[in-house]
Amino acid sequence: MSTTVTDRVIDTARWLASDPVSRVRTGQTPHAVLFRDQKACVRYFAPETARLPPVFCVLPLINTGTVFDLMPGRSVVEALTAAGVPVYVLDWGRAGPEDSQLPMSHYVDRVLGRCINRAIRHAGIYEIDVLGYCVGGTFLALHLARNPGPARRAFFLATPIDFHRSGRLSTWARPETFPLDSIIDGFGNFPKALMQDSFRWMRPTGSTQKFKTLLDRGDDPAFRELWVALESWNADGVDFPGATYREYIRGCYFDNALMKGGWVMDGRRVDLRDAKIPAVTVAAAGDHIVPEAAAHALAAVWGGPVRVATVSGGHVGVCAGAKLPAAIVEWLAT
Amino acid sequence: MATANPDLGKLGDELYSHWERAMGGWWDQVLENPSVLDAMGKSLGGAAQARGKYEKGVDDTMAQMHLPTRGDVIRVAKIAAMLEERVLQQEDLVLGLKDQMGRLEKEAVHARIEAAEARLELRETVAALRAELARGSSTTASNKSPSPPAARRKANS
Repeated sequence: MSTTVTDRVIDTARWLASDPVSRVRTGQTPHAVLFRDQKACVRYFAPETARLPPVFCVLPLINTGTVFDLMPGRSVVEALTAAGVPVYVLDWGRAGPEDSQLPMSHYVDRVLGRCINRAIRHAGIYEIDVLGYCVGGTFLALHLARNPGPARRAFFLATPIDFHRSGRLSTWARPETFPLDSIIDGFGNFPKALMQDSFRWMRPTGSTQKFKTLLDRGDDPAFRELWVALESWNADGVDFPGATYREYIRGCYFDNALMKGGWVMDGRRVDLRDAKIPAVTVAAAGDHIVPEAAAHALAAVWGGPVRVATVSGGHVGVCAGAKLPAAIVEWLAT
Repeated sequence: MATANPDLGKLGDELYSHWERAMGGWWDQVLENPSVLDAMGKSLGGAAQARGKYEKGVDDTMAQMHLPTRGDVIRVAKIAAMLEERVLQQEDLVLGLKDQMGRLEKEAVHARIEAAEARLELRETVAALRAELARGSSTTASNKSPSPPAARRKANS
């Protein structure tokens, strides 16, 4: 075990030089791909014995589905299946240049609707509980407001609703300074590299903090493993389909239309007040991407009863802790 | 930062937090300054437009050389996606029909069960009536004259 700062720095540098990210294996929980809709797929994580009703999870379009299955012992789906919950996870897949013209309604109405439908058929039930994380939650909220159907209850985790209270992102994404049209006209899709850079620049000293924490706690192999799993997931971004990104930024950031109303998507009005099912919105206390105020704003605009809660952790770290699966299990059991 | 000398470690941590606070504050001012954001936006927009023009240039060159362009590949991929979408729509349709068939089958089974139950009920009623009739006729027979039926038939004829 190293004892001095120099030793720690050398040890950590050696470890980093050995390219640990290439060795990390995220998404280890056994599952089956139940259904594919072009690039999107529904992954089914079966419990040994189903003791609780199934849950359908919607992840953000800009990340791979492994955030809910980071590594053994740090996996939301692993914890849920161990508690007897059949879990369906919607993985949107990786958008390519051919997807740049797909409108937001393609994802919000069509893909999401079809995938929930297939999960219900597979589970042999008529209604299912749904869970959305981050932008996946925003898409889910839009879907539920526009398509009252087989969803029984909704759980929103770190889901931005009031985009004008979304911290630094809301400052950056203003029509007077953010060249939305030039970006999408030039790049086609919003590039993942730009997305990752913007997240990094939200907290410029975050990278230093990250490495300092690694130095401080690097003696613990479990911490190193988690650190590298999170790094690997962070680095594995997905391009945001251009036309959808244009609608999303205009509707959510420029107009804050989920709060103010007046958003017309694919010829149909979007109003979260149209969603009547009960919902829970959970924010992460240390989340600098989706602050508590942005997530809890759901209570002001949702048509059904809403319960608000806050758990400890950051935007991504919340998925690596044990509190989130416990909260989901408690919600499913009620 | 924990070291062999705990005081030194504590000092390191304090220095770091001072540095982080100072840097964080400075970056906050920079990253929320409208003129900085304006310049960043213009730079980003310019980079995106340059990228778009570069890709168009590459596409034009490839087209002049009679080679498939990026646009061609995208068109083919879109056609494949459209075909897959049609297959999925057909699948949705088949599943919808299957649901309807299932509902109809259920309804038919329910109707058959109800009809069978009605028949059973009717049969039971008929059986009960017959039993009652039999009971009634036997009582009548025992109450009337003791003459044998053959003699009665003869007398009637």
